[in-house]
Amino acid sequence: MNEFIFLLVAFFIYFLVMVLGFISLFKPVFRISRVSFYLSVTGFIFHTVSLVVRTIQSGQAPFTSMYESINFLAWSCVLAVIIFERKFRLERIAPYLWLIIVALLALASSPALPKEVTPLVPALQSYWLWLHVSVTLLGEAFLAIAFVVSLKYLLSQNKGLTEAEARERKEKLDLIAYRAVAVGFPLFTLGALVFGMIWASKAWGRYWGWDPKEVWSLITWLFYALYLHTRLAMGWRGKKSALIAVLGFLAALFTFFGVNYLLSGLHSYL
Amino acid sequence: MAKVVRFLSSIRLAIVLLILIIGLSIIGTLIPQGQEIDFYRQRWPSLSEEILYLGFDHLYRSPLFLSLIFLFLLNLLACSIKQIPAKFQRLKGLSPEAFRSGGSLKNKKLLFRLGELLAKNPLKLKSFFQQQHYQVKVAQIEDKKYFLARKGLTGLFGPELVHLGLIIIIVGGLVSALFSQRITIALLEGQAERIPEKSFSLRLDKFSTEFYPDGAVKDWKSLISVIDNGQVQFQKTVEVNHPFTYGGLKFFQMSYGLDWDQVQVELEIKFSGSPAQYITLKNDSYHQIDERRLVRLLSFIPDFQLDSSGQVISRSAEARNPAALVEIHQDGQPLFSGWVFYYHPDLSRFQRRIGSAPEVRLRNFSAPPFSVLEASSDPGTNLVWVGSLLMLLGLLTSFYFPYKELRILIEPGREPLVTAFSRKNRESFIQELEGLTELISNTKKISKEISDE
Ligand code: HEM
Repeated sequence: MNEFIFLLVAFFIYFLVMVLGFISLFKPVFRISRVSFYLSVTGFIFHTVSLVVRTIQSGQAPFTSMYESINFLAWSCVLAVIIFERKFRLERIAPYLWLIIVALLALASSPALPKEVTPLVPALQSYWLWLHVSVTLLGEAFLAIAFVVSLKYLLSQNKGLTEAEARERKEKLDLIAYRAVAVGFPLFTLGALVFGMIWASKAWGRYWGWDPKEVWSLITWLFYALYLHTRLAMGWRGKKSALIAVLGFLAALFTFFGVNYLLSGLHSYL
Repeated sequence: MAKVVRFLSSIRLAIVLLILIIGLSIIGTLIPQGQEIDFYRQRWPSLSEEILYLGFDHLYRSPLFLSLIFLFLLNLLACSIKQIPAKFQRLKGLSPEAFRSGGSLKNKKLLFRLGELLAKNPLKLKSFFQQQHYQVKVAQIEDKKYFLARKGLTGLFGPELVHLGLIIIIVGGLVSALFSQRITIALLEGQAERIPEKSFSLRLDKFSTEFYPDGAVKDWKSLISVIDNGQVQFQKTVEVNHPFTYGGLKFFQMSYGLDWDQVQVELEIKFSGSPAQYITLKNDSYHQIDERRLVRLLSFIPDFQLDSSGQVISRSAEARNPAALVEIHQDGQPLFSGWVFYYHPDLSRFQRRIGSAPEVRLRNFSAPPFSVLEASSDPGTNLVWVGSLLMLLGLLTSFYFPYKELRILIEPGREPLVTAFSRKNRESFIQELEGLTELISNTKKISKEISDE
């Protein structure tokens, strides 16, 4: 029983789902979306088993190194995509989301990221680590959906469609992005900000210290507050909304990668 | 005045402030915070005066940043207060005013159909809305007929809960900034220390560091006695992530250190022609080797380095390059004086040897560990937890229990007054209502067909 074999199977299944999705963009194939759905659930089960095996073997949370965190983010994205597929029918958007998942797993497998389990420094040994990181990454998975969908909105040309069809497609993208933010924003608030503050308070005796990682998650959060309020107040839809959703997720990515490698602070052990 | 209030309560101001706060926060992560003035002068020679003038060396406490936060707080307060009367109006049940001011959905045809349906068959309309989990009130008061269907009452106030929570969090943050206290306490085993401004002392009874097999630190544990009024009140083990509270202070295990002033070294001294001798010495003490010879430890440095002016300094408090300054005398005359290095036993550049000087090596060293605790009291913390809870509840209800209502008022001699309102997602509410009216009309047809047979 090796976690990496399960992970590899999951990866190939996701890859297949992505390829099937892109094929059906050009050549709608009967029932392919049903097949893709069951395939992706199967891949998700393999992925989950892989995470559980690693957790049992290491005896610690499966998101304490860069490799593990990216892997867990990919797992959360799969969960988010499956939920959204089920509830809102992603159709033409799905393959782009699978592309991100495949890219994340490819990044996680990069030889630059050590795969072995490293023991935790004292401050990380807390069940708040579990709550803080898992809920944050789950929230970010939904924000990733909003990101991909918004990018698609900004980049797609809709050649060869009537105006009404193009508008309908764009409206669908806008609505899905909003719904993804509506799930991701509360989860991110709970995981990154509230659980983060509680843990910091327990470990260091202060709930907030303006550490770069803390500030960048606040910045990410403020971008999404901006997203919601520009829609409410100015009725911003479509392009401008999409742009904010893209910027918000770039801020989330910077919190995740940039702060560790470019800025220094207490959180730099992750 | 009215203008000021309108400005302060506008959501456009909120948007501008959000953008400014995002921008400043980003700047604050790019400029290292809380460094010495010279740091900024060296790193950004042409910009340092502006950075210092604007207070960007401590940006998150700078007047500029704080005044933005303060304006944001006023903005939140003003806009929440502005929204509340209209929302309470909505809460009112069967009053004609609430019915007249109710709506914001404009779909005349649909609303007209609903009015008709109510006039014809109020019970059916009621049961259909109830099936969709609406709270429904139908009443005849004097000559007026009322119909009110709604759901998601808590969602009506979702944004206000979020904003109230935020206000409380920001206030909590200000309270913390003004009134929180932090004290660092370093204790050696057996040592007791009085907590400033408090009546009690802490004594460290036992301190241990646990390691992983690869040598990384796993945990620090301090067994602490709290001594109040000259008596041990209780004993408690503090670990990382497991603080304890006493006398209004919370005590955290932060880290540990080694007290190099109390170092003990083992030296190997070998005179030519005689076996090596091993001598244990404390800092600033001496040992008589025999009647004529004497060794003295003058200084010990855990991380030996020369600074730019050639002075010996310790780069850190960790034992990265331990070195001992040793002197050996014979009959009051120096034989050997200089630095011996633990990791570089053959390095003799920092030594002076005269005549029959011995070989000297630093074989071993140890220093008593001390535990570093931090005591903090922060009266803002609980406000932040309360605010967070309200904010989370507000987010949940805002997004997942959206408020929707439909009101119909029938007065004799007038057209039915029909209004519908949904706090968000107007289109889908209209679709829902259209679906319902269709369903009601269809079932009517079906039941008519049945009774016709
Ligand atoms: C970081 C700060 C803020 C956060 C996180 C926040 C959060 C929210 C959320 C989650 C909603 C509900 C959104 C929706 O239903 O789509 C909302 C609505 C709203 N917010 Fe904020 N808000 C913030 C600051 C402000 C400020 C400063 C104002 C002041 C003008 C404001 C004014 C409003 C208004 C007018 C609504 C709509 C209320 C309604 O639909 O009944 N918000 N806010």
